Amino acid sequence: MKPLGSVQDVLAEWPFLAHASLAPDVDLIKPPSDMLHAIATRLRAHGWHLGTIVASETADATDLRYCFYGTAGRGWLHVLLDVDRQTRQTPSLTPVYISADRHEREIEDLFSITFTAHPRLGDFVFHDDKWASGIGLMRPQAPQHIAQTNRPWEPHHVLQEEGAFIMPVGPIFSGHAESALFLLETVGEDVVRAVPRLFYKYRAIEKLAEGRSVHDVLLLVERCNGMSALGNGWGYCNAVESALGIDVPARALALRTLLAELERIRHHAGAIREICESTALTVAANQAAVLEEELLRVTAQLTGHRYLFGTLAVGGLARDFDAEAIAEMLVAVHNILPRFAKMREALEKTGSFLDRIENIGLISPEKAQTFELLGPMARASGVDLDLRTSHPYGRYEDAEFSVPVEYEGDGFARLRVLFREVEQSARILNGVANAPGGALRGEIPQTPGSALGWAEAPRGASLHWTCIAADLSLLRYHFAPPSFRNWHGFHIATEDFAFQDFPIILATLDLSVAENDR
Amino acid sequence: MTGALWAYAAVFAICAVGAVVAFLVPVKRVAASIAWFAGSAALLACAAGAQALLAPESSVSLWNLPTLGPMILGTTHLGALFTCIAALVYFPVSVYTAGYLQRYEEHYSPRSFALWYYAALAAVMAIFIARDLVSFFIAWEIMAIASAALVAYEWRERANARAAYVMLAMSEAGTLAAMIAMLLIFANAHSLRFVDGSGSDLSGATRWAVFLLSFFGFGVKAGLMPFNSWLPRAHPVAPGNVSALLSGVVLNLGVYGILLVNLVLAPVSFVGFGALALIVGAVSALAGILYATISDDLKTMLAYSSVENIGIAIAAIGAGFVFVAVHQPALAAIGLAAGLYHVLNHSAYKGLLFLGASTVHAQTGQRSIDRLGGLIRLLPVTAFCFFIGALSISAIPPFNGFASEWLVLESLLRSAELAPPWLRVVFSLSGATIALTAALAITCFVKAFGMTFLGVSRMRSEHLVREAPRSMLSAMYVLASACALLGFLPTFVLAVINSALSPSLGGSWVQRTLVPAFFGTQSAADHLPPDFVRSFHALGAQLGQGVVPGRGLVVMLRGGHANPVVFAMSSTYLVLTLLLFLGAAYFGVRVLSRARRRRTVPVWAGGLSSLPPVMTYTGTGFSNPVRVIFNAIFRPSREDERKTIHEHFRDAIRRAREDVFLADRVVARPAIIATLAVSRTLARMHHGRLPAYVGYALAALLAALAISLLT
Amino acid sequence: MSWFLLGIRSGIRTERYAANAPAPAGATPGFPHETRFETTDDAAGNQARCPTGAIHAQGDVATVNRDRCIHCMRCASCDGSAAMEWKVDYNWAHGTDGVDTLPAAFHGSLHVRVIDAGDCGACLNEIAHLSDPFYNAHRHGIFITPTPRHADVLLVVGPVTQQMRAELATAYEAMPEPKRVVAIGACAVSGGIFGPSVMCAAGASSVVPVDIFVPGCPPPPLAIVHALLGVCESKPLER
Repeated sequence: MKPLGSVQDVLAEWPFLAHASLAPDVDLIKPPSDMLHAIATRLRAHGWHLGTIVASETADATDLRYCFYGTAGRGWLHVLLDVDRQTRQTPSLTPVYISADRHEREIEDLFSITFTAHPRLGDFVFHDDKWASGIGLMRPQAPQHIAQTNRPWEPHHVLQEEGAFIMPVGPIFSGHAESALFLLETVGEDVVRAVPRLFYKYRAIEKLAEGRSVHDVLLLVERCNGMSALGNGWGYCNAVESALGIDVPARALALRTLLAELERIRHHAGAIREICESTALTVAANQAAVLEEELLRVTAQLTGHRYLFGTLAVGGLARDFDAEAIAEMLVAVHNILPRFAKMREALEKTGSFLDRIENIGLISPEKAQTFELLGPMARASGVDLDLRTSHPYGRYEDAEFSVPVEYEGDGFARLRVLFREVEQSARILNGVANAPGGALRGEIPQTPGSALGWAEAPRGASLHWTCIAADLSLLRYHFAPPSFRNWHGFHIATEDFAFQDFPIILATLDLSVAENDR
Repeated sequence: MTGALWAYAAVFAICAVGAVVAFLVPVKRVAASIAWFAGSAALLACAAGAQALLAPESSVSLWNLPTLGPMILGTTHLGALFTCIAALVYFPVSVYTAGYLQRYEEHYSPRSFALWYYAALAAVMAIFIARDLVSFFIAWEIMAIASAALVAYEWRERANARAAYVMLAMSEAGTLAAMIAMLLIFANAHSLRFVDGSGSDLSGATRWAVFLLSFFGFGVKAGLMPFNSWLPRAHPVAPGNVSALLSGVVLNLGVYGILLVNLVLAPVSFVGFGALALIVGAVSALAGILYATISDDLKTMLAYSSVENIGIAIAAIGAGFVFVAVHQPALAAIGLAAGLYHVLNHSAYKGLLFLGASTVHAQTGQRSIDRLGGLIRLLPVTAFCFFIGALSISAIPPFNGFASEWLVLESLLRSAELAPPWLRVVFSLSGATIALTAALAITCFVKAFGMTFLGVSRMRSEHLVREAPRSMLSAMYVLASACALLGFLPTFVLAVINSALSPSLGGSWVQRTLVPAFFGTQSAADHLPPDFVRSFHALGAQLGQGVVPGRGLVVMLRGGHANPVVFAMSSTYLVLTLLLFLGAAYFGVRVLSRARRRRTVPVWAGGLSSLPPVMTYTGTGFSNPVRVIFNAIFRPSREDERKTIHEHFRDAIRRAREDVFLADRVVARPAIIATLAVSRTLARMHHGRLPAYVGYALAALLAALAISLLT
Repeated sequence: MSWFLLGIRSGIRTERYAANAPAPAGATPGFPHETRFETTDDAAGNQARCPTGAIHAQGDVATVNRDRCIHCMRCASCDGSAAMEWKVDYNWAHGTDGVDTLPAAFHGSLHVRVIDAGDCGACLNEIAHLSDPFYNAHRHGIFITPTPRHADVLLVVGPVTQQMRAELATAYEAMPEPKRVVAIGACAVSGGIFGPSVMCAAGASSVVPVDIFVPGCPPPPLAIVHALLGVCESKPLER
């Protein structure tokens, strides 16, 4: 029996639509472009989420693939839309799904496709002061070298008040912050609104991936965001593996789960360190740094690399670990975990710390839902969404854990979610400690294929679309990292705040610029 | 008639000739003629004042009026001091007019300006030598009408006409109150002549009435809280040179009036008078500087700052009044001298700042600090002069504001000599308020100078801006030098103030208290123990005698004759030390840096290739912390309207904030609302039915009967 | 107070830093080392396995160009052919020929500005760990400053993206003389797997003159400390 609001329920209204089943729980429809709004409205009413929008252009077709997913076992629905190659115009999904905004802006810059009725376009991936518009970097005929131009640029500002000005923070700022420009609109002291200007670090990973083999693209994916190399890499492997129909052995799945949770704990330790650092609570920051460094060392002792680079391989894992090494790692991690609890206890008793993170950077549950935020940021605003439970992969289906949810949506709630996720990750670690024996890597067939893969990286859902040629090189690779979506949370959280809270808000949001910029 | 009075007469004559000449020369030359005639009149007035200060007071009777008695003109030392102050402002402003007035020539007649300008100049000088009620108020009225006419010079602008109307109306109300105060004194003395101490034997209630009426009556002209709604309206809209006059001359007239009544005619007899003046002064100072700090308009900011400075002067004078009332002439001398010194300094630097602000306005067409910026490259001389003015008004040593504000604070610290505890509380709270005011003044003028002259230009027509003509610049140079000299050589200034105050204090107390023996004047040595003076000389207090011209500031005594404690601060020595250190540092850097390569790189803006003006601090942004901290005082009305697209994307945020001046909000608006309400009630009685009117008449008759029967 | 006690109770965690001392377990991934294999096939196999061309086979010997190595670990896992030898050390920094170290005055007071020119976050995280209790770069007198105006050393991470080129050059311009540039990580050293490409340059040296290179993906904190001490020759570097 299909759950309520399933693909069939939605499509019952339009029986004439071309419909195909790509895989179990993955359906595809190809409506004419003017029906997009009607279908999306229906999907939204049934609580479907927008995963990502994949644009692709070949010599003879330009299309947009809208990937929706439903919770409660409803699987995925891909909506494929042809784009008129003459006008290069297509209706914007943003009026229905607000979260489509950044995807569409990105596609506009990379593919020169115009979204009609989109609120704001331009100055996104390619900055207006450096690049002429309409580059279309991802199009087949894009030039290999694009000359920069120096043009006057004045930021768009919406605050109209006597004496209002924009306080620029960045692109090079603070001690060792990632490069991004923040435009704080203010009349002094209190900031009314803040706008991020990202993509200073745009490396064009999707462009670099084209034509490379599936194995080499994994290197790019891992180095997209070094802090969650395994989380994102696993999502990519899932995509390749389902595109090629690779059967991943049980041992590899168990070890991947183990490593993913180890990475999550280490990532959260780093996030906690940054929050403590931003509030100038140095002792706590150093305690968290010690935890993070110890976890990095434990990781390196097991896998050889501190950030788990080179551990994954398409089809399984790059190397095997003996049971003794895994047991040692678990002992080490279990020695570290009680100190998380102690730290949380001490932080929750520190009034000066709580004063600085409570009620700042508020993201209400309504906003978190409308903008479809992901990961710990959404879970701190009451959104109970985690791909590990809603669309299980690896060994998560039979792992015992719960998804921690907090409802306040402020900096403190986000910190509590981090601590609680560490506890849950520890439970999963125990569950998968005894990995079954057997092969480490599945056979890789030489067939073309395409599929969407996903994983719950430490920062949230990481979605990967791969389209693979018969020689195992990628024709199109699309990566929708969690931070890309979650930067929406930034402008929600930064409306009406005191300037001195800015670094704290930024730290509690735990947004990665590298992951967004790709 | 003495020489001084002849000089005054010559001033009037030059004014009259100048007014005639203005109608004879071509329109283009009128401005220049004002500079020549009014400038020389001002110089002559200055000479007259100086002469009057040195000579004994004298008077001449002009003619007898039926029933009102003779009209008398005469010199007084106090009036002479104010004459000098007025002349100090009038001279540069007249020179400034030559260049400045040309911007109006196409739209407004410079001849009418000249007429009112001469009238105001003559009337101001006449006020200082009027020695009877009739001539005083005739001169006063001419001054009030002429200055209102000058404010309304651009009469086609609605705001100007309105501001002039408010100014005139409030001024008339104040004049009426002041006149009643004077009449109460003269009713007691049975003469309309100004006789020193003629009101000293007034009874308690009458004396209070005289004080309150004169203090608040003249306080309107002086711009004291709460009856100063006209001031922030009139100053910004008036032509620049007129604004300088309003602040530098007209406000002083109010202070002169207060002193005339309460120090000369009827010396204060209750400590309550002084305490009230102190409180009003401190409140004016704080309110003035708070609104100045948050003002975006350069001239409005300066107008509010005038409220602050007159407040500080009045607070010091109030302290002086308290000590006069408790018969402590030495301490009274400190307070009164500090007040007068501050009035003098305020005229100099506020005149300078208004001329600077008007130059900015004239050359850029812009008065909003938020829209200016980076002007130091375009208007270097104006920027330099404005900087001197800003340093002076922020009481940065060694400039003149420092000398007087230091004295004011010192005089407020003397409450230890006072018996009643409540009075000590008033003194210490006022002292704290004025200290806060001084700190805020620095914020205010860092903003005014920094945001206007430094940083990136926020103007669109930057390339059109040129430095002002020489006449305007030289006027600013004159006032800037005055600011510097008044600060560098305070002991000379105190000597002048001493002679202005000696008649009222009964001796040269200022000189004796503030400039003791070891810093010069031998005359002061006699009231200190010789051993004490000798030990100070041994410490090197005489160092530099004969080399350093002014013997420092201002030294004050605490303790009695037997046990003197001295606080000394010499701004003259300070200047020398500063010059020495700065010069040494400059040459040190030059010598050291000669070996090194100098590299010029663009400003570091976080890696941004260019810093558009919209990304630089505005004046409003700079002063916003003050708005946030003092929100309880400002109580602004706020609007906050946010628009979104698709209910989520922020499209526009429109916010507005309106700050209504404290005096308007607390006094003027409620008063207007109450008056309108009463009028409406009364209007309801006028419905035109005859029987009702008969009823009113009957009721009034009965009421009159009842009152007469009862009394 | 509780934080104070917690801090005291944690004890001293700082590692002793001595030249060529063995690294603590897990503090560094090490580097593949020049290896002599049994067969030429093994050497060639490793060359073929390397995605960035860091391994070069000459007969039965495989040499490593550290600047290109991105720590993909493929030559560490024995899969088919023999693995390369790995040396677990951290003295990876090497200088450019003919560049002087900073004068002795900078020893014990070296101010560093970090520029992220497209980094994935791993190198930045290792730089952030410089000030944690394990490495405590402050005791060597190494401080991170918020502005290049105060900086003696520019630490560049990332392959230098097109959008950060001008910003990096501006930051270098803004520094006072004498100044040194240290490229941290494979990306900044040679472009790594990202550059040179359409949006990335071939490392920091394509925009600013680099004095010291620290290869590794990412180089661990110990390697970065080693490089920074080499800037004023507290620890000699390989030239």
